[in-house]
Amino acid sequence: MLRTIKPKNARSKRALKAREPKVEENPKQAIFIRGSSTNQVVNTALSDLCSIKKPYSTMFSKKNVIHPFEDQSSLEFFSQKNDASLFCIGSSSKKRPNNLVFVRMFDYQVLDMIELGIENFKSLHEFKSSKSSIGMKPLFIFNGELFEQREEYKKLKNMLLDFFRDEVAESVNLKGLEYIISVTAEPVANPTDLGKIFFRVYTIQMKKSGTKQPRIELEEMGPSFDFVFRRNRFAGEDVMKEATKIPKEKQAKKVKNVSHNEIGDKMGRIHMKKQNFDTLQTRKMKALKKKFKKDEDDNEGPASKKAKAA
Amino acid sequence: MEVQSVLESEKSKFKSTEVEKAIPLEYDLGNLAAFDTNPIDPKSLKKGKENLLKQLTRDNTQLIMNAIFNLPTKSGEDGVFATLPEPVTIIPREKPIPKEKILTRWEKFAKAKGIQKKKRTRFEYDEKTGEYKARYGYDHTKSSDDIPEDWLIEVPRGADPMEDQYEKRANEKKERIESNKKRQKRNQEEAEAVRKNINPREARKQELLNKSIIAKTSTASLGRFDKKLKNEPKIKNQGIKKHHESATGDMNAEKQKTLEILEKTIGKKK
Repeated sequence: MLRTIKPKNARSKRALKAREPKVEENPKQAIFIRGSSTNQVVNTALSDLCSIKKPYSTMFSKKNVIHPFEDQSSLEFFSQKNDASLFCIGSSSKKRPNNLVFVRMFDYQVLDMIELGIENFKSLHEFKSSKSSIGMKPLFIFNGELFEQREEYKKLKNMLLDFFRDEVAESVNLKGLEYIISVTAEPVANPTDLGKIFFRVYTIQMKKSGTKQPRIELEEMGPSFDFVFRRNRFAGEDVMKEATKIPKEKQAKKVKNVSHNEIGDKMGRIHMKKQNFDTLQTRKMKALKKKFKKDEDDNEGPASKKAKAA
Repeated sequence: MEVQSVLESEKSKFKSTEVEKAIPLEYDLGNLAAFDTNPIDPKSLKKGKENLLKQLTRDNTQLIMNAIFNLPTKSGEDGVFATLPEPVTIIPREKPIPKEKILTRWEKFAKAKGIQKKKRTRFEYDEKTGEYKARYGYDHTKSSDDIPEDWLIEVPRGADPMEDQYEKRANEKKERIESNKKRQKRNQEEAEAVRKNINPREARKQELLNKSIIAKTSTASLGRFDKKLKNEPKIKNQGIKKHHESATGDMNAEKQKTLEILEKTIGKKK
């Protein structure tokens, strides 16, 4: 555990405040770590993924003896120290060659982990094509029905979206849509099998089409992976519930007493107080004036005034 | 008709932006994502994987782009911006939802009354120099050469003329600070209780009760003969009371006891 820091000046106070939990969260920061033993494939894969994720990514230059499925303490430490909640750990061993582990954290604790093996890898530099500029938001496409059906695929979809989506934007520059991450699930014959995952990244070229929408052409930018599923560890239900809570401020406010019927008419219900008919203003007439009600009242103004004075 | 044909010919110059899908895509435009649930043919995937993937992605990208270009737009300084809807896919947060700050007594009161904090400006107009000067800090309006405001204090009517007014003022300030500290402590304690989901009044009550129990142990009789408080609950003494055997008692029982001890110490060795 890290020691708790008490800010001593305004600058450190501001820095600590930036790390506090917020309603609108900062974009998640990712850390790419090389495990105890790696090879060229894993190293390039990590640096390629890191460069896609820029500027919200850090690559650790030294090797770290991390086995995320056995011991998460160092991940928790790195998470606190760097205020990061996404990790990608690369390793390669005899048992699990070319291994990538994607880890997500919640409240500096491991939320879920997915281990993928790289089967076919082509680096960013092997494609002689134009690259997208740094800090652009990617588009995502998930192909295959398995992403809707199987738990592992659903989790992977969520993980990859979380990993690369960066900040949640309210609006996006139409010119800034530069690249797309395409993830395709290989169809499987046996419903319990886990197929390969094809991870591709393409740059988008917008051509004239004579209509409002442009004609899209793609060019592969890299990196390109064929992943296989290995181990995984998913979050418990209660933790996931806690992590996906929507803050009060962002929940849609319930509008009371207003409904819409099938035709689309807006219907309102009004709650009235009990009306007092004694004070109800009816038609004014000279004959109904209080002045004329009492006969004994003569020249000294209206009766009500006199009653008050008495 | 002529216009129609001109439009048609103009359109045919370019490649189409339309894509046909058996099952329409699901969009999550807040995340700029789309999900294609159409089944993929395994045979054609084996034949030409890269081409198929590229073609499939191109078609789907076209569909996403069409959807994005149909969103309401705003033109800004560096281009046209599409306003995105809220993300649909539920993605876990990084940190828990911030806890609500527990208000102090004053803050609660101010909120109920609608009192708002007014921020004083950092600079104020200095009439002597005709310039704006800092209210406090370096080069502020009241420089240190000025005579202090309280170089002379009038003795109030009816007050003891020999009383030191400066000391009185200092004492009053001390008291104010003291009482403010007390309030601060109380606020902290109350906030702590609220955080633990206890009524602050109950928490205070419990604490006082605990303290009174501790205080009772300071007398030899453990508070048995102390003056009772009003509505004081009956509490058993929590300390262990040691009972001494009387010096002139049953001889047999004492003998038995001593033998037992002997048995325990020597008997075990066998």
